[in-house]
Amino acid sequence: MRGIKKSAIGMALVLVTSVALLSGCNDKKDDQSQGESGFPRGKTLYLGGSQWGDPSSFNPLQDWPAWPVNDKFNLMYEPLLAYNTQSGQFEPILAKLVSQSTDSVVVVLNPAAKWSDGQPVTSADVKFIFELGKRFKSAPTAYALDFISEIKVATVDQNGAKAEQLTFVVNKAGRNNPLVIMDLLQGIRIIPSHVFEAKLAAFKDSSEPLSAVQKLKLDSVPVVSGPYTLSTYSNEKIVLKRRDDYWGNAALYGGKLPTPEFIIHPIFKSNDHFALALQKGELDASQTFIPRIWLKSADGVHTWYAKEPYYIPGAVPMLFINNTKAPLNDKNFRRAMAFALDYKAIKDLAVSGYSPDIKPGIIMPVGPEAKYYSEEDSKQYGASFNIDAAKKLLADGGYKSIFKADGSLDSVVDAKGKKVPTLYIKCPAGWSDWEAIVKIAVKGLRNAGIDVREGFVDASLYWQALPTGDWDLILHKPASSVTPSLPWSRFEAVMSSRNWSKIGDKMNENQGRYNNPKAKDYNPKVDSLIKVIPTISDEAAKAKAYRELNILFMQDQPTLPLCYLPEQFYEYSDKHWTGWPNETNAFAPPQLPWVGAGIKTLWQLKPVK
Amino acid sequence: MLKNRPTLRYILHRGGWYLVTFLVAVTINFFLPRLGAANPVDIIMGKVSSGLSTEAAKEKEESYLKEFGLVKVDGSGNIMRQADGKPLRASNLEQFGNYLKMCLRGDLGTSFQKYPKKVMDVIVEAVPWTIALQLPTILFGWIVGNVLGALAAYRRGVFDRIFFPAALLISSLPFFVFGMLLVYYFSVVLGWFPAMGGYAGDLIPSFSLTFFGSAAYHYVLPFFSIFLILAGGQAIGMRSMGIYELGTDYIKYAKWLGLKEPKILAYLFRNAMLPQLTGLALSLGSMIGGALITEMIFSYPGLGMAMLTAIQNNDYPMIQGCTLLVTISVLIANFTVDIMIGFLDPRVKAGLQMGGN
Repeated sequence: MRGIKKSAIGMALVLVTSVALLSGCNDKKDDQSQGESGFPRGKTLYLGGSQWGDPSSFNPLQDWPAWPVNDKFNLMYEPLLAYNTQSGQFEPILAKLVSQSTDSVVVVLNPAAKWSDGQPVTSADVKFIFELGKRFKSAPTAYALDFISEIKVATVDQNGAKAEQLTFVVNKAGRNNPLVIMDLLQGIRIIPSHVFEAKLAAFKDSSEPLSAVQKLKLDSVPVVSGPYTLSTYSNEKIVLKRRDDYWGNAALYGGKLPTPEFIIHPIFKSNDHFALALQKGELDASQTFIPRIWLKSADGVHTWYAKEPYYIPGAVPMLFINNTKAPLNDKNFRRAMAFALDYKAIKDLAVSGYSPDIKPGIIMPVGPEAKYYSEEDSKQYGASFNIDAAKKLLADGGYKSIFKADGSLDSVVDAKGKKVPTLYIKCPAGWSDWEAIVKIAVKGLRNAGIDVREGFVDASLYWQALPTGDWDLILHKPASSVTPSLPWSRFEAVMSSRNWSKIGDKMNENQGRYNNPKAKDYNPKVDSLIKVIPTISDEAAKAKAYRELNILFMQDQPTLPLCYLPEQFYEYSDKHWTGWPNETNAFAPPQLPWVGAGIKTLWQLKPVK
Repeated sequence: MLKNRPTLRYILHRGGWYLVTFLVAVTINFFLPRLGAANPVDIIMGKVSSGLSTEAAKEKEESYLKEFGLVKVDGSGNIMRQADGKPLRASNLEQFGNYLKMCLRGDLGTSFQKYPKKVMDVIVEAVPWTIALQLPTILFGWIVGNVLGALAAYRRGVFDRIFFPAALLISSLPFFVFGMLLVYYFSVVLGWFPAMGGYAGDLIPSFSLTFFGSAAYHYVLPFFSIFLILAGGQAIGMRSMGIYELGTDYIKYAKWLGLKEPKILAYLFRNAMLPQLTGLALSLGSMIGGALITEMIFSYPGLGMAMLTAIQNNDYPMIQGCTLLVTISVLIANFTVDIMIGFLDPRVKAGLQMGGN
């Protein structure tokens, strides 16, 4: 007996000491790491929410490189202009906007702009990336050629210095859309042509030089023009270092340096980790959907507004409807659905109240697009939550809903007495806020007597189904990035039949197949308005055209908008850095400090100690 | 010729079967992900096509189909098309042929989802973390669980009455619940240990004391989240095996002979251990697949998450690479157990010597 006891006690001792050793030695190491790591907390900004999964490439020609080369992040590679999502204005970065008209957009390159290898940023760099599609059809920027027919270069005098003036000529034979050119000027980042031409030349014998260059990781000493550059990275974080010789410090920021010497983007495996890290002060700002954000303010986590709706909205998630399938091809049926949705419940319960109340139509009543919104039209043509109105529309259409004794919906028959099949809303399983939206929508629709059910599927099947139109209803966030072309791009994404193709083939806009150009009831007005709006220069005429289009949307209800969601937003913690822009200190728009005009935040932040 | 060498014959015979199993497994691993309806390029298009027009999206889709070898290409590198202009898909058999050729060259291909990263690079970066987390937890959990289980079986009494329900409770806790409780209590409430990550937020992996110290500190909670549950489960198994063995004649005989307790316990342990040993080998074999739940809760590096995202995104090369690795390690582990049992289990040994297989 004693032997056993001894060994048990011995084992326990070993365990306890090993734990003590582990934690003991670690406490010590952790203290040291503050000094040894080279990233002192007071000089390092921790930002998150823009990189998921291993960083696999920092190549700007790749379709989805790692942060901050991906998307519209301006830390390493810079665009010509920065869009301010709040004022709707364009702020200068590599260039300054001179004029925009229906024929062309003119900018002047900043003559001070330089690459990190000392070469100046020139029109050759701009032309390289904007015209890459002429040389390679699969270039990531190839679509720019549909909008820009030519880039004219002239030399002008800029405060005594010679500067290059670029005229982006609207491609009238192509898409004839100066609005999208503005999207491109703030979206496409300029890359050093001398570097990339050399890389392409190195593969000139390959059958596809571009695709060979796209495979390069470009993760060491990249040639950039922005205020930060890649220092190091692993699968758990990306570290950027400040470039003290950034040309813009003198040319744009009065000689000041951005305050943080390092920016670290940790890579966590779920939203919860970003939320917890923010709360613990390990992260300073993050673009992360955190439910019930008000519970975190005690831990120093804040948002643009201190109170509801906390964020500024940017996108409209909608139920896209298969407009070709009975009974969904009946516009009164679709309108009945729009009346049956409890928009307030969706806003409050599914998205934590992070949006102002939704208005009928697809023009948002806030932000730069608010000037096209008409309250009067919404009242006259729009559908809002009203079960009785929904029921009346259904009854007028000859639909009969049969309810069970307990009040729940049993089935629906149409005017001919035929049973209407159950309709399913396709939505990716596990996207919790989306699932909640769908559940509330289903509840409302069933209450009104419409036989709809949730259809949660694997995200891979969702993405596959979306462009084919092979569904009844599907949750989708069209035109999801906040760009200068809103709300036009939202109309294009929802109503355009320019690329009409049958169910089963792919469409990247109007996936619900609204307004078939070959059908008898085709309404050419819709497509012509979508085509003409970008070319209208008179603001009053433009507002009128938008109103007309929005009324057509409300009358035909091709999709069901559900709520507004913040799109470019972030939460910040003031434990280690202060001076964040917010409602009361709105020196920068509510964009992450690496997106668009939000970047100037970096020059205003102050370390706490 | 092998008649006189039963052990070698046994090993070769087993080895042959393992080779067949391996080939079947590789084939299944290749075709299984391709049986579903989802297509990897559609998923990629979901993330890159936003804002593109239908034509531009089509153009891009075709360039990916070509890049990933999912369409047929003619001599001059152009995509071959069907009569209606749609690209001609490469059949699964053609892809399988390519895959085998690449495997023989030791090339696992390029991940679709982490393009242009090589599958091999992803595995090489993730596997050390997976092994560092899993190997000690499995070994320690196994040893501690079995010792405690054998003790409980042998001693019964108060120790068992407290220990058994406790082990039952711990081992039936789901990993994710236990992991979250650990994070909440030791990290959020007490602040003793970090809640997430494999090392401190301000470090980059390197061969330095600072890094290893930080890694060890971050190791504590993930370790215990697996260790305790594993040990509990092992203890329960060992306890019941032990109680069964205690009723056998040889133990009774040993007791009558008046052998010392540790000696009896050693006998008991050795015999009750056999099924436990098989379990250990199996879990060691499958450990390479990663501790997915632990990785997710602690945002811990490892192969589990890489495999999950690969499966979610139909990243064929990545799934193939990971499953190949898992197949090989499970087979090696099984093979080792087969051989070990041959030496350890007197019954198998006797069977071998009598010419069985």
